Parts: sequence; structure tokens; C-alpha cells
Amino acid sequence: MNNAKKGHRMQEILITLVGVLVAVIMIFPIIWLLMSSFKANTELFAYPLHLFPQEFSINSYINVIKNGFFTYVKNSLFIAVVGTLITVIISAMCGYALAIYRNEINYTNKVFAIFLLGTLVPGEILTISQFTVVSALGLYNNVWGVILPVVTTTTGIFMYRQHYMSIPLSLAESARIDGASELKIFKDIMFPLGSSVTVSLTIFSFMWRWNDYILPLMVLSEQKKFTIQIAIKSYIGTMTVDWISILAASILSIVPIVILFIFLQKYIVGGIATSGVKG
Amino acid sequence: MIKKKQAFRHTRAFWLFVLPALLLFSVFFILPLILSIGFSFTNYDGWKTMDFVGLKNYIKLFTSIEFYKALGRTFVYALCNLPFKVIIPLLVATLVTSKRLKGTTPIRTIIYIPVLLSALVAGITINWMFGQEYGLINFIIQKLGGTPLEWALNPKLATFVISFASNWVTVGYYMILFIGGINNIPKELYEAGSVDGATSVQTFFRLTLPLLSPTIFIVLLLSSVGLLKEYALIQGITQGGPGTSTTYIIKYIFDQGFTQYRYGYASAIGVIVSLIFIVIALIQFRATNGGGEV
Repeated sequence: MNNAKKGHRMQEILITLVGVLVAVIMIFPIIWLLMSSFKANTELFAYPLHLFPQEFSINSYINVIKNGFFTYVKNSLFIAVVGTLITVIISAMCGYALAIYRNEINYTNKVFAIFLLGTLVPGEILTISQFTVVSALGLYNNVWGVILPVVTTTTGIFMYRQHYMSIPLSLAESARIDGASELKIFKDIMFPLGSSVTVSLTIFSFMWRWNDYILPLMVLSEQKKFTIQIAIKSYIGTMTVDWISILAASILSIVPIVILFIFLQKYIVGGIATSGVKG
Repeated sequence: MIKKKQAFRHTRAFWLFVLPALLLFSVFFILPLILSIGFSFTNYDGWKTMDFVGLKNYIKLFTSIEFYKALGRTFVYALCNLPFKVIIPLLVATLVTSKRLKGTTPIRTIIYIPVLLSALVAGITINWMFGQEYGLINFIIQKLGGTPLEWALNPKLATFVISFASNWVTVGYYMILFIGGINNIPKELYEAGSVDGATSVQTFFRLTLPLLSPTIFIVLLLSSVGLLKEYALIQGITQGGPGTSTTYIIKYIFDQGFTQYRYGYASAIGVIVSLIFIVIALIQFRATNGGGEV
């Protein structure tokens, strides 16, 4: 008995060690990037390398901030917040309607099928013609040209539709008997009932918009309108790479998302488990 | 009469609720989809010229060695990475669902963190370690007495770095899907297994693996799509180089379209490549009964 217990304990230690090792391997590239960002320029490009900065320096951060980094943060934030707001509202309305009127209106599934087209072809392939549409609408070099094309997400509509399918129709029925309008039923009763989806979608959408790359790269031409991602890309020249700026800017771009994740991770994990769709 | 009035009210409400999403989706997805097909029959240069050229773009495409090379490269890249995209997250998920593991939550959280990075920054992060002159990996190789490797100049090594980054950034995501799959396996089955004296390796191969096949299938499909459309990650590492050795199909489309101003030709490539993605999406569709659920 004692031996079996001992063996059990050994297994526990061994498995936990492997677990910790995997975690360290996964996080190490980011730690290395973080540590490098605090190294002085002279240390960055000189052997031998050390994990911890020999001389702690925040010069690279001062440098990117001086070069207008907060403007990029502001632009990214605006795009992420406004884009997410629109995404949540239109997805909730649409997913709700597709679910709640399914018995009275016989073409709800056909309408939903149109949105499913969105999952057939990756957006990347349509970028060129999306760009043509954005330009034709006069949205070239305009934040709205970055926001509007991507606010509709089939994933979001799907998540809300599934959620409202599980809510008994009698709930809306009794509100109607009390004389509530369709809009009021949605706004006051149903939307709050979808809060679990709202939280998941808010986090996902914020992350997608914050990390968006292709569309902002195509649409935004003026430096003062750049998002963080585009600013980082602009540090990569054809001949030389401005590593000093890239290190600090990359860390600054990661921090808000990681903080958001650590506080809200249970919703993220739940969101993936229920929708399972990416992008 | 009242019924009819109510039906009208509901139809109106339905369309008002659906309209914003439908309108934006039509303008920024359906319309570009139609335009792409339309452009593919023209010599549109993104500016003024747009003449109908019939099937010329398609003929050019199917006789272009460059196109086949880009497509072939993309397939090789996807196929070589596919096993890792499934096996690594599956093993990690098995590890982090083990009852013997202490500190499950922080370990899962840390493994997930790379997923949060944008593809560009993920590429940059890995690229920084694989720097030729002052990169950590080459430093370690030298410390161990080896010669530093030319990560950016050797096509095979460059592809390795991209593959490494690509896997690194998706392990956490697929791990979550596998954890979901593992948690759905009834506990009684494991209990029965342990009563019968099955070792954990036996349990994994005889029980976990077969019961996880739906999840494995989904991860295969999702990672196929992800690998075939790899783009932003590469922009953070090789930008398609050295030469064109890491120019995969999406990058090739952008190069043709935005760099060479051949919108028409690029659209034709897009149309052909779309067919590949549509096939994958339809398979996924059937597997998940018409939704995106796992």
C-alpha cells in the first residue's frame, strides 16, 4: 500500500514537471522578447547573450513613444472598441431574430444560409475586391474603411442564434401579451439574457480587431492613422529591420490583450467550447 | 385579423433586426465575392483599365509555372505541418487534463497566451529567437560548439522557422478544443478501464483517441484552412523569402494584385483557390451538421 502511494506521488511529480516544462517552452519566446526589449542597444547586438538585461534600459520604449506610438494605440483602440460595439449589436439583433421568429417566418434558415457563405471563403482571398469596394465608397485612408468591412461575423451571429434557440419562445409570448413592442422585448428582456454570449463575443471581437493586419495595411495610408500592427510592420524595411522599435512596440501590443485574457479567461475558454469557430 | 396584424409586425421586426448585419455583409462580403469573379474576366489594374478579356487570366494561370509552384509550395507546407498541428495540442491536452497534474489552471493559461498574439507579432517573436547574427538559437548552437545556421537565407530553415511559429501560436487554441473533447468522454469509461487494469498508455490509444476522432477531424480541417491561408505570420518572418521559397498562395495573390497591379489576374487566382477552401468548408459543414459547433 505504502509503495503504491509512493508510486502515485512520483507520477504526480513527474507529470507536473512535464506540465511546467511545456508551459515554460510556450511562454519563453515572449519572455525572451520582453527581456530583450529592456536591453540597451549595445547589449542587444553583442555576444554573449544573457536572459536578463545586464543594464536595464527603457530607451526603446521611450523611443517608440516619442515616435507617436500613443497615436497608434489610440487608433487601434478606437477601431477595436467601435468595431466590437457594432459587431455585438448587429450580431445580437440578427442572431436573435433568426432564432425567435423561426416558427412564424419560414425563411429564417435561408437568411441564415446567406451568412454561412461567410465561412466558405476566407476573407483574405476577397481582400482585393473588398479594397475596391472600400475605395469606391470613399473610405480609403479612413478608419471606417477598416471597421465596417469586418464587423459582420458569422461566428457572432451563430453564437447568438444558438443561444436564443435555447430560450423558450413563451418568454417573448408573455411579454407580448403584456403589450411590449418587439424592440422592447429584445432590448429589455432578451439582450440581457444573452450576456454570456455578449461577453465572449466582446472579448473575441476586441482581440480580432486589435490584431487585424491585412485590411488596415491596405486601407490606411497616412502614418497618423496607422494601427499598432501597421506601425510594427512599418519598422520592417526591405533592407533593414528596426529591431529596437519592434521589440518595444510588440510588447506594448501584447500587454493589453494578455491582461484582458487573464481577467476574462473563463469566458474565452467557454466561448471556444461553444462556438469552436475562429476568425 | 389580429393574427394577420401580428404576423405583419413580426415580419417587419425580423427584417429590421436582420437588416444591419445583412446590409453590411452584402456590401463587404457578397459584393466583393461577385466582384472577384467579375474582375477575374478582366484586365483590371486597380486604377483605370478594365477591359473584358474572357478566359485569358485563367489560361495564363493554368499555364503559369509560378502559380503551380506557389500552390505546390503551399500544399507541401500545409501537409508537413498538419500532423504537428494535431499531435502536439492533443498531447498537451492529454497532459493538462490529467488528474495527476498540479497547477492545471496556470499551466493551461500560460500555454494559451501565444494564441492572443497577432500573427504578425507571433512571427516577429519567433523570428527574434532565430536571428542569424545575434539570435538566441544560434548563440546556443555556438555555445554547444556548432556553427550558426542561416535561418533566413536557407529556404528549408526559413520554412522551419515559419512552421515553428505557426505551431507555437495555435497549440493553445487546439488544446482548448481537445480539452472540450476529452471532458465530453464519459468518466465511467475511464473507471471501467482502470478496473480492468489498463495502463494510461493503453487508455490513451484504446479509449481517448477513438472517442476524440470528431475533435481530431475538426482540428484537421481548421488547421488545413489556417495553414493554406498563412500570410501575416510570414510577413513577420521572411516576407516570402529567401527568393520566393516561402511565398505561399495568399502572399502570391497579394503580390500579383497589390504589388504588380494585376487585380484581374490576382482575382482569377483567388477564384481558383477559393474552390479549395469551399471544399474544405463543405466537409466541415457536413461534419458539424451545418454549423460551426464542435
